[in-house]
Amino acid sequence: MNSYQRVMQTLSGHPVDRLPVFAVLGAYGARLTGTGLRAMYSDAAAYVASQRAVEESFGFDLVLAPFDFSAISEAFGGETAWSAVQPPNVRRPPARCAAEAVALPLPDPRRAGRLPVILEATRQLARLYKEKVPVVAVLPGPGILPALLTGLDQWLEALLFRPETAAKLLCHSGDFLVSWGNALLAAGADCLVLTEGMATAEIAPRALFVDSVLPHLRDVASRIDGPKIISSTGGRMNQTIDLMRGLSGVVGVITGSKDDLSESRRLLGPDLTLIGNLDNLALPSAGAAEIYRMSLDCLAKAAPGGRFILANSGGDIPLATPAENLLAMLGAAAIYSAPSGSRS
Amino acid sequence: MMPAELCQQLLNCMINADRAGASQIVERALASGLDPLQVISGILDPAIVRLGRMWEEESMSLAQNFVASKIAEDTLLRCMPDQGAEQHKKGKVVIGNIEDDFHSLGRRAVGLFLGAAGWDVTDLGNDVPAEQFLDKALEVGASVIGASAMMQTTALNIRKLRELIDERGLRDRIKLAVGGAVFNWRPELVQEVGGDGTAKNAVGADELFMRLQAEARQGDAS
Repeated sequence: MNSYQRVMQTLSGHPVDRLPVFAVLGAYGARLTGTGLRAMYSDAAAYVASQRAVEESFGFDLVLAPFDFSAISEAFGGETAWSAVQPPNVRRPPARCAAEAVALPLPDPRRAGRLPVILEATRQLARLYKEKVPVVAVLPGPGILPALLTGLDQWLEALLFRPETAAKLLCHSGDFLVSWGNALLAAGADCLVLTEGMATAEIAPRALFVDSVLPHLRDVASRIDGPKIISSTGGRMNQTIDLMRGLSGVVGVITGSKDDLSESRRLLGPDLTLIGNLDNLALPSAGAAEIYRMSLDCLAKAAPGGRFILANSGGDIPLATPAENLLAMLGAAAIYSAPSGSRS
Repeated sequence: MMPAELCQQLLNCMINADRAGASQIVERALASGLDPLQVISGILDPAIVRLGRMWEEESMSLAQNFVASKIAEDTLLRCMPDQGAEQHKKGKVVIGNIEDDFHSLGRRAVGLFLGAAGWDVTDLGNDVPAEQFLDKALEVGASVIGASAMMQTTALNIRKLRELIDERGLRDRIKLAVGGAVFNWRPELVQEVGGDGTAKNAVGADELFMRLQAEARQGDAS
């Protein structure tokens, strides 16, 4: 069974040879190939080479299309800040407030800024890995995309105090999201991950998410083809995880590292895949033995219920993470999946 | 209505993101003859303290904290109008997001709460190099610098500021407050980056800065 089969079987609730393991290793690829992050995120071939290095070094059950939200902000007219140690960030958002963002023209994914680089990298990854390793592309959820256009504080200002303007912006940016998601699928992505920070307890109360964001998530999910996973980007998601059932095409949820996985499964029900939930911050700081133990804890809690993928919860795994810690995740999944007599 | 009841109502408005409702409560308190300063000390302050506890218990979201900071600002502006420099009687502070960090929301909330608490705040914005922090602190005469970072990678850039303060022999005169989401997740980072202290949220910043300013004044005097 290859990674593609393993993941697709898991998503559809069928038996697998061993539990799949995901790790968000986008920037990490640059560490393996010795490429600068700016060069890697600006050049499809350099990016694909870095994912090949990740795949060959570890063999996780996915390859990742460029996970770079600054490219979206840049395509709308924003400015990007480059760093040597982390993925690029938004230096200056394209609009000063939500009202201004509503008037921004929607960028064409095939032409604007570095979006074509992401599409080309996705195409090349699909050519290399089609039906061998799933190609996963990450995009912002509808509730958090406006923050890339205005900055989080201005977005919260609109969402909380100017709901009509916020609703207009959600519709406007939602249209871009639909075209961007479908473009990534057309380029060869097997699955999309939508990161929806507004669904987490750290960012917004459940009522705000239900009233202001959920209708747009429902709408966007119904207009983007293909399987979709909703990610908490590390925050606690059990407060809204039950609402992910029944969203069109949604096949799984990545919970936060502080979520209780048993509770996540109870709230989510049996029909969606649960993914998580190792702490991103623990990965560079803990030892391999500790990561191994934490992985086994996750597996013990969530694997018996079926439809589970071990993964980190959150964005890119820090570059300082030792390779042994990543291998410990894979080792734990292999041991856990082995016949019970051979487990250590 | 008693201040304690009004405080509970104000806290409810903070939790429910009801800025207009909060404003009505403040107006009702003033109309009932309560002194504006009593509105701050007897209604706003205790509501903020309770909000801080809820944050520590992880039962408050960023959005609710954001609303609370707006309500605090509204209340302060309503109850302490036209007092000019008197409003900033606690001292001067310089805050900003450290070099390479662009997550401004927490820093802005800290600025609002510190301003509401009576500090004269110089906010340098995002992506501030160590030299700029220190030069500005010396220029305005601040004895506390607040450096914010959301990510672990950017938090480590605060070390440069620590080193710069020490290199210039200012360790006792200028104190370094650090904050941001990553410090709540990994408290040991405070020491790792050389911070003199941290607060878990914007609400706790006033107490932290008071303590650090007192330490700096002690260091300056000795």
